[in-house]
Amino acid sequence: MNNTVHHNSTVIHGSDISFSYDFDGQLSSALTDIDIEIKKGEFVAILGQNGSGKSTLAKHFNALLPVQKGKLTVCGIDAKNQSEIWRLRRLCGMVFQNPDNQFVSSVIEEDVAFGLENYEVDRELIPDMVENALRLVGMSGYEKRSPHSLSGGQKQRVALAGVLALDPDIIVFDEVTAMLDPMGRKEILEEIHRLNKETGKTVVMITHYVEETVNADKVLLLHNGRVAGFGTPREIFTNTELMQRVGLVSPVPVRLFNDLKAEGICLKSCPLTNEELVEEICRLS
Amino acid sequence: MLIGKFVPINSIIHRLDARMKIVSLIFLLVAVISTSTVYGYAAIIMVLTVIIWLSKLSLFAVLSPIRRLWLFFIVIFFMNAFFFSSDNPLFSWWIISFSGEGIRQGIKVVFNVCVVMILGNVLTLSTSPIDMTNALSSLLTPLKLLRVPVEDVAMIINIAIQFVPTILEESNMIRKAQTARGAHFESRKLREKALSFLPLLIPIFISSFRRADELSLAMEARGYRNAKRRTKKAGVPFRVLDVTAVAACFVICIIQIYI
Ligand SMILES: Nc1ncnc2c1ncn2[C@@H]1O[C@H](COP(=O)(O)OP(=O)(O)OP(=O)(O)O)[C@@H](O)[C@H]1O
Ligand SMILES: [Mg+2]
Repeated sequence: MNNTVHHNSTVIHGSDISFSYDFDGQLSSALTDIDIEIKKGEFVAILGQNGSGKSTLAKHFNALLPVQKGKLTVCGIDAKNQSEIWRLRRLCGMVFQNPDNQFVSSVIEEDVAFGLENYEVDRELIPDMVENALRLVGMSGYEKRSPHSLSGGQKQRVALAGVLALDPDIIVFDEVTAMLDPMGRKEILEEIHRLNKETGKTVVMITHYVEETVNADKVLLLHNGRVAGFGTPREIFTNTELMQRVGLVSPVPVRLFNDLKAEGICLKSCPLTNEELVEEICRLS
Repeated sequence: MLIGKFVPINSIIHRLDARMKIVSLIFLLVAVISTSTVYGYAAIIMVLTVIIWLSKLSLFAVLSPIRRLWLFFIVIFFMNAFFFSSDNPLFSWWIISFSGEGIRQGIKVVFNVCVVMILGNVLTLSTSPIDMTNALSSLLTPLKLLRVPVEDVAMIINIAIQFVPTILEESNMIRKAQTARGAHFESRKLREKALSFLPLLIPIFISSFRRADELSLAMEARGYRNAKRRTKKAGVPFRVLDVTAVAACFVICIIQIYI
């Protein structure tokens, strides 16, 4: 059992990762000297502007892009090892931005089974695993429906079920809320947090919405292909100078905290969420 | 569209195994083509009526492709009626010859095309796209001997079908966007109509390629290597009903050929 990952052990470990896209013979650098360490069960948000290299980095974790320079180990597997790619992809699943472009079947249960069939899972075992995965994301009863008849949030939950069916240790979400309405965004965000808490799966969530990352364990800030900061959301968002440098706006409660401080009103600690803000203000009086 | 969209209702025809439906369809087509007597035609019409009745589909839906193509049928009829060379024409001028045989031939061709369309329509209206692709790939299995990558072909068909609604929806959106910017698709002149679709086609092509790119990434992320290295689909056994249906169609076919 040397593959078992113990609690608090590192599941993603990258050092000095650099990557350039080859566009008609012209190299354009997308990642430069990235160091990253993610522990088992952690909820890590990768935050950065458009084009900062978030997706490029994420595609390294399940070997959709090759490691050009540096070293990357995921679940104890060296990402450079070609013969282990398939095992790696099963351990590290990925959900993408556009829900319409990741379905392979017009029947939900067949789509969820797609990954299992790729790993040549016994035909008899598949129906139970599909049912399980759909139950995990609260989509039981939709087995025979077409993904096209669903709302954006439901589509992303089905896409998540397709990944969950393979029971990966890590799930990477690449801007899965970007194409959803506010309700759908909230729905999916809560789903991801619940999944992380209840199943202990490591979550890497990519986004460019600062507000979506306040409940993460860690935030990795990317800027022009480099790591600009890595720490708890509080450490990152209260660092006004850092946030300004990468061109991102801190969450509203943090900005309010700073404005109040400028007016001479000092809250005890900097709030990240609206709830914390209300609590702090109540404590004032 | 000429091909009907699957109507999910519960009928004997819907429940039939899709492979058997396709085979039965082929037998019936052969039967129709080899028919030459009035009794033969009457029998075919009877069989057709029974099939439509069993399928519980509305007559309107089943006949809709014929209703839309009436002009086409008139053209076919006159082509046959006028250009069928006969020994004793009623009237003859240059290459045109008008004869009783020609008219009969015209009716026969139009009848055959109608029957083919109705049967094809019943098949697509009563079979889900997934069952259809599975059935096709299973019927195409012998082509493996000719090195045709049957699994890949089935996967391609499956994905293509899955993208039809998305692309249709998208083309509607682009069309509205371009109408808002002053393009007009409603022109009656064929040439203008054809030209006005060009600006529609290009964005759809581009976005389809982008979709294909993203989809292939999503498939790889879920462990897709090639169509062969996958869990095999279950070999569903035929039921009595399926076998009976095929046998009935086979008998009809043989009778029509020999009478
Ligand atoms: N296939 C590609 N070919 C060439 N250059 C690319 C390709 N994909 C991305 N790039 C470039 O690499 C850089 C990083 O892109 P990446 O997609 O990783 O950014 P991102 O942070 O995910 O942005 P977004 O928020 O828009 O998804 C960008 O400058 C982009 O133009
Ligand atoms: Mg991206």
